[in-house]
Formats: sequence, C-alpha cells, structure tokens
Amino acid sequence: PKRGYLTPSIPQRYQPCNFPRSPLEAARAKLHVSAVPDTLPCREMEFEDIYAFVESKVLDGNGGCMYISGVPGTGKTATVHEVLRTLEQATEEGMVPSFEFIEINGMKLTEPHQAYVQILKQLTGQKATPEHAGNLLEKRFNRQSAPRQKTVILLVDELDLLWTRKQNVMYNLFDWPTRPHAKLIVLAIANTMDLPERIMMNRVSSRLGLTRMTFQPYTHTQLQQIVLSRIRDIDAFDDDAVQFAARKVAAVSGDARRALDICRRATEIAELQSKDLNQLVDISHVEKAIQEMFSSPKIVAIRECSLQEQLFLRAVVSEFRESGLEEAPFSKILKQHSSICRLEGVQPPTTSEVSAVCCRLGSSRLVLVEGGRNDMHQRVRLNVSQDDVFYALKPKGKM
Amino acid sequence: MASGKIGKDSSCYGYSKERIDEIHNTLPCRESQISTLLALFGKPSHAAYSSIFIYGHTASGKSAVITTILQTLQLPHAIVNCVECYTQRLLYEHILNQVGDVIPSPDNNYSCYARCDNMNDFVRLLKNLIEEKELGSRTLFIVLDKAERLRDMDANILPALLRLQELSNCNICVILISEIVLEKFRTGTGFHEPFVLHFPDYSKDEMLEIISHDCPSDYSPSFYISYVNLLMSIFYMVCRDLNELRHLAQLNFPKYIEPILKGEATVENAPKLWRNIQPHLQKALQTIYLREVSSAQWEKYQLENVEGAGSLPNLLSLRSSVELPYYSKYLLIAAYLASYNPTRTDKRFFSKHHGKINKHKLKKTEKISFQLLGPKPFPLERLMAIFYSIVEGKVAPTANIFSQISSLVSLHLVSHVSSDDQLDSAKYKCTVSLDFIRSIARTVNFDVVRYLYDFV
Repeated sequence: PKRGYLTPSIPQRYQPCNFPRSPLEAARAKLHVSAVPDTLPCREMEFEDIYAFVESKVLDGNGGCMYISGVPGTGKTATVHEVLRTLEQATEEGMVPSFEFIEINGMKLTEPHQAYVQILKQLTGQKATPEHAGNLLEKRFNRQSAPRQKTVILLVDELDLLWTRKQNVMYNLFDWPTRPHAKLIVLAIANTMDLPERIMMNRVSSRLGLTRMTFQPYTHTQLQQIVLSRIRDIDAFDDDAVQFAARKVAAVSGDARRALDICRRATEIAELQSKDLNQLVDISHVEKAIQEMFSSPKIVAIRECSLQEQLFLRAVVSEFRESGLEEAPFSKILKQHSSICRLEGVQPPTTSEVSAVCCRLGSSRLVLVEGGRNDMHQRVRLNVSQDDVFYALKPKGKM
Repeated sequence: MASGKIGKDSSCYGYSKERIDEIHNTLPCRESQISTLLALFGKPSHAAYSSIFIYGHTASGKSAVITTILQTLQLPHAIVNCVECYTQRLLYEHILNQVGDVIPSPDNNYSCYARCDNMNDFVRLLKNLIEEKELGSRTLFIVLDKAERLRDMDANILPALLRLQELSNCNICVILISEIVLEKFRTGTGFHEPFVLHFPDYSKDEMLEIISHDCPSDYSPSFYISYVNLLMSIFYMVCRDLNELRHLAQLNFPKYIEPILKGEATVENAPKLWRNIQPHLQKALQTIYLREVSSAQWEKYQLENVEGAGSLPNLLSLRSSVELPYYSKYLLIAAYLASYNPTRTDKRFFSKHHGKINKHKLKKTEKISFQLLGPKPFPLERLMAIFYSIVEGKVAPTANIFSQISSLVSLHLVSHVSSDDQLDSAKYKCTVSLDFIRSIARTVNFDVVRYLYDFV
C-alpha cells in the first residue's frame, strides 16, 4: 500500500501578514467568518447536549449516531468542533479515555464512495481504492476482540451528498456504530431536518436512530450578541448599527455568516467615507452595506440598457398585456417592437438587430429566451416582473 | 455588420502587387469582398480581427476566396471542415496538425501533433505550437468551413473559438464560413461578436463572366458566352447555383457543337444551333438536373447519339417498382388504405352491409384532401381488418404474415410511429406514393382507387 511520506504544503509568504493598525481593521479581522471564537455564544444548550452524548458514549466505550440539522450559518460545525476541543482537553486531564477524531465532508469528496478512502486514510494513513478501503473498514469495525482499541469519533459534514442510489455508503456509516466492538461515534450534519425521512431507506434511517438535534436560526438578539462578542474590546461599532444589521439578517435568514459579512462590509464603507481612523461604524454605513448585499441589480440593469433594449422590453410587456400570456414568440414581439419604434419616432431596426438585442437581454438574464436556432419561433419570457420593467423605464422626472 | 468598400489601391499591405492581382484574377466578381478581407487582415504582423463570420448562399465563393487569399499570400493557416471533424477531438487535432505541419501517414504511424481532448488543452497546445513554429507576431488564420455544425458540438466550443485570440493571447484570427446567418448561432449565454461579412449572390452577368473562363480552347469566348446565355435562358429560372450551371454547360456543350462538327452549320449560325440544342436542354432539365440519369450516362448517350433522349434508361424512376411477395402486396395496399382513409369510412368501404351513403352531404363538408395531408397513423388491428377484407381467399394469421409486416417496416415502405412499444398497441404509417401503390395493386388486379376516400 502507498503511504504518505511527504506532507503537502504551500509556499511560505515572504512578508508577514499586516497587523491591524486601526480599530476598524482590528474589527474587520475579528469579524471575519474564518475567525471562529473560542466559545460560541448562544449555542450553550446545543453544546451541552452534544457534549453529553459524545462523552457518555466515550466513557461507556460503545458507539452511536447523532444527526444534527439546521439551516446554513447556524453554527452546527463550529459547535461540534468546539465539543471535540473540550473533550480533548478533558482527555488530557484524564477525565475521559482518549479517542480518535476524524472528519469527512461530503462536499469535498468527488464521489460518495471516496468517503471510505478518506476515513481509512485518516485512521491508518493507508491509501486504497474505494472498494478496498470499504472492505478494510468493514473488517476493522467488525473485529471481534479489539483489546485496547480507541473510540473513534467520525464527523460527517454535508451528509446529503453521500447519497447514492443504493445508499450503501450511508448505510455503512450508520451500521458500523451498531456493531458490538466497533466503538464508533458518528456525528452527521446536514441542512434539512427531515433528511432521514425524505431520502433514506428505512433500514438506513432506523440505524441512524432518533438522537437528533436541530439548530434553530439565530434571532436578532442572538446575532447581536455574536457580533458584539467578537468586537467586545474594540471600539469600532455603534450599538444601534449592530442591532440594525442583526435585525435585518434575522428577518431574512438568521445566518450568522451573513450578519458578519454585512458588518465587515460596513467597516469598509466607513473607512472609505472618512479619513479618520477612529471613525465609528454607524447605522448609515450598515444601511449601505445591506443595500449592496440584498438589493436586486435588475432594475439598475434595465435603466442602464440601451434605447433599443429598453424598447424591446417594452415590446415584450405590451405583447404580454395584449395576449394575456406570460410567454410570446419572437415574431410577435418583433411586430410590437417596430410599432413602438414608430410611435417613439425611432427608426425601426432590422430583424437581425432585434434578434441581437434579444440575445443580449437573454444573456444578461433579463429575459429568458431559447437558442437562436428557431429564430422567429423562439419563445421569450420575462425574468423580471412587469411592474419592475415599468418602474425602471419610467422617466426619471416622474418618479 | 458592414461590408466596407475599400479601394484597390489600399489593398497592398506589404504584399507584392502581382500577388494581389493574381488573387483578383483567379476570383472574378469578388473585388469588394477580397479587399475587405485584405483590409481586415492587414499586414502579417498586424493584430487581426479576432473572428470573422462569412456567410452567403451555396457557391458564392466563400471558401474559394478565403483559401485563395491564404494560399497565395502564404499566410500561416489551418482550414478545417466541420462536417469531417464531427467531434471536438478531431477538430482540435486537425487544426494542430495543420499548424504544426504534421501529416498523419504510414511513416509516422498515423500519429498527430498531440493528443487533445478539450478546449483547455487545445489553447495550451496551440500557444506552445505558435512559439515553437516561431510565427512571432504573424497572424495565424484558423478557417472553419461549414461552421453551422459547431452548434451541435459542446456549448463551450463556439464561444471559445470566437475569442481564441483573447484566450491564447496570440495573434489568431478565426474565420467561420457558413450558409446560414449569425442569428441562428446565438445561444443563451451570448458570445464575442465576430465581424460579419456577407457574400452576395452572383448576378447573371457575373455568372456569365465566371463561366466564360472555362471556355474550350478551340472556340472563341464570345461563342461560348452565347452558348451559356442560351443555357441560362432555360436553367436560370430554376437554378442559380454556379457549380451546377458550370457542370451543365460542360455536359451539354458537345451536343451544341455537333452541327458544326457535322458541317451542317457554322459558328456564326446561332439560330440553327439554338433550334438544335433547345429541345435537348429542355429534356436535360427534367432528367439530368434532377439526377434521374447520371452525368456519365448522359455523356455516354450523347456519344452514342441515340435517337431521342427519351430512350434513356430511366433508372431512378424504374426503382419505384419493387418485387414483393403476394401477401406483402396486400398488406401494403391495406396499409395505404388505412393511412389515407378516415377510420369512420372503413365500415362503408369494407363491410358488406353498410348503411346508406349520403353522398351529397359528404361532398359538401369534406374539402381537404387526405392525399395532401399525408399519411395518418393506424393501429395494427385496423391494418389486419382491412387486409382480411381485401385479400382473396382465407389467410391464417400466421407468424409469416406478421413477419412480412415487420419486413415492410425494415424496407421503409411502412414506418413505425410510436417506437416506445414494439408489441402492444403498435402504430404504423404507410410511406409510399399513390403511383407506387397503384402499380402494386395492378399486379394483383385490385382497384385501389375505388377504395380511396378522396376519389369516391
């Protein structure tokens, strides 16, 4: 078997990273999503639950499964990692027997069966084909007398991507813990709460068991607390600004990453707007950042279209109004287009020019078109609402 | 979208005047297109337009102009026909071979310049090749003939080829040649717009000028032009294809000069020659132009000087009578009747005790001919029912009968309509013409017209 003698590495930087100089820079470093804090605020309950589950299994020396779900950005992976960090500290203190921790992520695998290869590599350092690795793992977890074998904790992130038609990868991952001497604890993470019921066969979901945990989206107070805990000792943010960002994000998704990104962007805007390094980020900066992140660029795009493109959009809308349908063939829109051109006093363009206009709008996804192959018969639909087109094309004075 | 008119004086660009004149002489009536292209190409070291799209009808000199320019001026180029290169790998390897001067042959064991499967490798290899061949800043021309086939390949190929200059960072000009307009190439995500150049059709005078170039040396060009003029008066209405007209002119010329050779007329006696050739050309329009008689047969017939062109072996129309087994003939007739008769009239045609026929009413309501609408699909049961009602004697529904149906399908006389289910509820369509079915019916003494709804 191939063994990894060399550790992959990336080239070293020539210069050290810049050290944050101003409070805004310091805040930005702290607010980065990759800067995971030591303790996660607002997830104490979940932490306790997972910790208790894993600790009891490790202490008893048996295996088990746990399914953790929740929408993106609710701290699932971070909490599990924190649990394992705490457990490692506990083993150093001798409170808990030692264990091995391995981790796979469905998104990082090219193919579900590669999970076996990854697990085997992390367990033994051995490289093998997926099939062979599967056999070796099967043998290992099936061993009758494993005298002083350590408990293995396996974290499976993005579980839904390990789905195959026969579901044998999922089945094995949840079946190995049930073997008498396997000493395997599987923590599976996915986004949807009802994943076991939706995509898994009965024999797979029954092995997964009923130990489940759902991470609720953060409320605005929690988001506020998260942001504040990160910039606790930096004087960079106005309290209202943080609250505003938290409330806006909580209303939409409750995604902590989104809240942190908005705050980071707000620091950048604040920095751009004033030369003063001790500038506080206030509510107007956050407002601007939210505008940037949440607003749809379509209306701006329609306003910036060329005259013929705008006329084409008007022709599409008026054809829809006339036919009462949400879809029209290119030939009919062409007719509308030339009559609108005459009304506006513009020289009506040729068919190839209108077709080029249509294709341009289609490639920027303002309208949805089929390919140019069935030219006159290609069907055109709007990808924006008709009201948006009207709003965008209204003369500026009348707004 | 412009076809700029650039004066002849500006079309030198560092090439010798003779070369340019040579191009203009070999390609008559394409002055404006040639000078536009030369202006676009510029000097060899100039950055060319990254892609040029050339379109025009069949035989409007698109490929000829491009090839002649590239070959006469000895510009580095690769010419690829997209019909031949039907996969992307063939396309890339063909271009690389031509640029790298590698010709697959027994000597090099039919190897190509490099194995190239995708656009990424192609761009990388092309860049290496341009450095290797020391083209420097000279423009490399990649000509893709029949470019409409590129649309059927992977979606990334056409957009990537159109901006190959940008992707490879080399001085490359991609020329697409097609018979269809650029609008039909457009896809959902858009692409880098090429320079569009239209090659208009040749006018009648231009055609005469071009065809007069292949005048036989024994006769004067004016004599040949007057002959071609006569030929065009008959063929120009139906055919504007230069290749086809040149072919016809060459094919019928021996017949035209026959009276001269026999001494019955002189070169000057145009009316006599015209009277001689006119019926001949009229006949040629019906036979040779539709390829019912092959060119070789036509020449042979002219040499042998058979009396009356009607005695020619009419091979293709002869093929419309096929020898079939007895029951197959009846099955085919039944299939024809099932395809061209509405189902509700079956009772009237094929059962003995049908109800009263209101002929008056029928004539008024039915206007559309079923013969014009094409064959309708019918289920197998209906075919068998009609078959049993028209066939003489008792026929057992053996495997033999059913295998004859499937062999009619494999002969393309009947076609399968719903291909999803072969056994259950199979539907068929009859795909033969009325003349064919009448000749078949005549051999079994069956009056098929009496049973056709359209003719009753």
